[in-house]
Amino acid sequence: MKSNSIIGIYKDENVLLEAIDELLANNIRIYDVFSPFPLHGIFEKLKLKTRIPYATFIYGVIGTISVFAFLYWTSVVNYPLKFGGKPLNTLSFIIIMFVLTIFVATLFTFLTYFTIEKMWPGKEAKLPVPRTTSDEFAILIEKKPDMDKNELDKITRLLEKTGATEIKESEVDY
Amino acid sequence: MYNTNVRGILIQGNKTYTDVTRDVLKPLDDKVPLWWWITSFLAIGALLWGVWGIYHTISVGIGVWGLNNNVAWGWAIINFVWWIGIGHAGTAFSIFLLILRQKWRSTINRAAEAMTIFAVMAAGLFPLIHMGRIWDGFFIFPYWNTRGPLWDNFNSPLFWDVTAISTYFMASFVFWYVGMIPDFATIRDRTASKIKKKIYGALSFGWLGNARGWLRFETTALLLGGMAAPLVVSVHSIVSMDFSVAVIPGWHSTIFPPYFVIGAIFSGFGMVLTLMIIMRKLYKFKDYVTDNHLDAITRILTFISLIMGTAYLTELFSAWYSGSEYEMFTFMKNRVTGDYTFAYWTMLTCNAFIPQLFWFKKIRKNITLVFIISIFINIGMWFERYVIVVTSLSKDFLPATWAMYKPTITEISIFVGTLGLFVLGVMLFFRFVPTIAVSEVKAILSDTSTTKPNNNEKQ
Repeated sequence: MKSNSIIGIYKDENVLLEAIDELLANNIRIYDVFSPFPLHGIFEKLKLKTRIPYATFIYGVIGTISVFAFLYWTSVVNYPLKFGGKPLNTLSFIIIMFVLTIFVATLFTFLTYFTIEKMWPGKEAKLPVPRTTSDEFAILIEKKPDMDKNELDKITRLLEKTGATEIKESEVDY
Repeated sequence: MYNTNVRGILIQGNKTYTDVTRDVLKPLDDKVPLWWWITSFLAIGALLWGVWGIYHTISVGIGVWGLNNNVAWGWAIINFVWWIGIGHAGTAFSIFLLILRQKWRSTINRAAEAMTIFAVMAAGLFPLIHMGRIWDGFFIFPYWNTRGPLWDNFNSPLFWDVTAISTYFMASFVFWYVGMIPDFATIRDRTASKIKKKIYGALSFGWLGNARGWLRFETTALLLGGMAAPLVVSVHSIVSMDFSVAVIPGWHSTIFPPYFVIGAIFSGFGMVLTLMIIMRKLYKFKDYVTDNHLDAITRILTFISLIMGTAYLTELFSAWYSGSEYEMFTFMKNRVTGDYTFAYWTMLTCNAFIPQLFWFKKIRKNITLVFIISIFINIGMWFERYVIVVTSLSKDFLPATWAMYKPTITEISIFVGTLGLFVLGVMLFFRFVPTIAVSEVKAILSDTSTTKPNNNEKQ
């Protein structure tokens, strides 16, 4: 997405969380928030949700079933061979199924994460405020073409009022 | 969610977020210290000796080891189990403590996980060489072949071992790497060097640190951690089954899986303690890895040491109570007394008695003593594996086949080589990766520090 935006920079996470409340109360849509570490308050306030756990569960189920299918097919169907007097379809499959389910689910969760985050090795990060990976917090509000001057002023004033140490405009593209 | 406040202040020295970034990343920018070069060269030397040992083993054959018909598993398996045990700490540390919401893990987990990676690499080497014909190693994978196709024996613990350890390695690595991404981004956005910006930029996968990104990051980390947690228990249970499904006296016992898992966590925590004491000293991280952190680890070790002692006694008791004369012989005549007395009593002293000194506050507070005791734990756990592997094999049911076992220089060289590999790995980690999880420390800073960390300037 490419658009202009107004950015308010904060130095304190508590001030930031209160600022988010204030902005939301004034019906301003917050496009994104940048922080050097995860803040659970933000997830709740912006009502962010993720469906990764469901994906992991599905990978796990697929993993269990396919590993069992493979073990059953090799040991019972394709080349039935008795080992140590144990039945062909044996309980020791559970151990392999348990471990390989974790293998499949872990690997695919990892890949899913990078896919939905659109991250890859060597991807260039375009951060509006580079210090947000170290010690600053930033609220990003999208500047829509249909916003008039009054609205923009209101946003700037609110950011100032809520304790932003710096307000700037920038073009973001990520 | 349950949060513990028992530990109080975890980060000393009134740190701000800026301070945390600067302190932790400082060793990466500093001139390479002399101790780093010396240790790394020694490690490379050890590694090369190990490479010679492996070359000698492969080019001549497994006969260059001190193994014989009775004692078919020697140092290679002892070292394998020992390294896997050490490799349990990282994950046990990060993941169990993550699930238990123990915030004091935050400054230690990164180093503990790095240790896991290198220890598992060292461990994985041994079964591979032990096969003798290393070039046929791919036989272990169930692939479509021209021999039937004849598949693997899926009832064999040796096959379970391969799946368990490769899964464990993959899961630990993925968990470790995902955790490092935000910190790589911090280096990327902070460094003045162009080369560093490029390398760490590539490693950070384009990390932004926006709200949605953090949510997905945290969820993924928790999922990966949650899935790796059962592995901590299952990997060493499976390793123990390499022994306990055999009918050899001293091995054929139901106590083995929990006994091995506890032993693994014990040796892992011992190694974490050794490493953390060195790290905080060399990098002056005493504000992050405080005396309280070390105190917490020593308390855990005291408790695990009691379990170890109980396990040793239970083994002796069940040998006697079972009425089996072979079990009685193995434990009483071949471990407690007999040819391997030294190994048995070293094990018992180092694992069950010496860590009990941690009951005394004076000893827990004396970091030099804590360091020495942590070394004793590492040694004791090595001897535990020695006792298990060698004593049971050397004297089994048929006295006519009894044999003694002594390692040859080749076996010793491979062990020293893996020590070199581990130390070299740790040195590279110290040099090129933030040794403390920067973003995790920042997340706990406001709750567990003495002042509010929110100002960029010190108050």
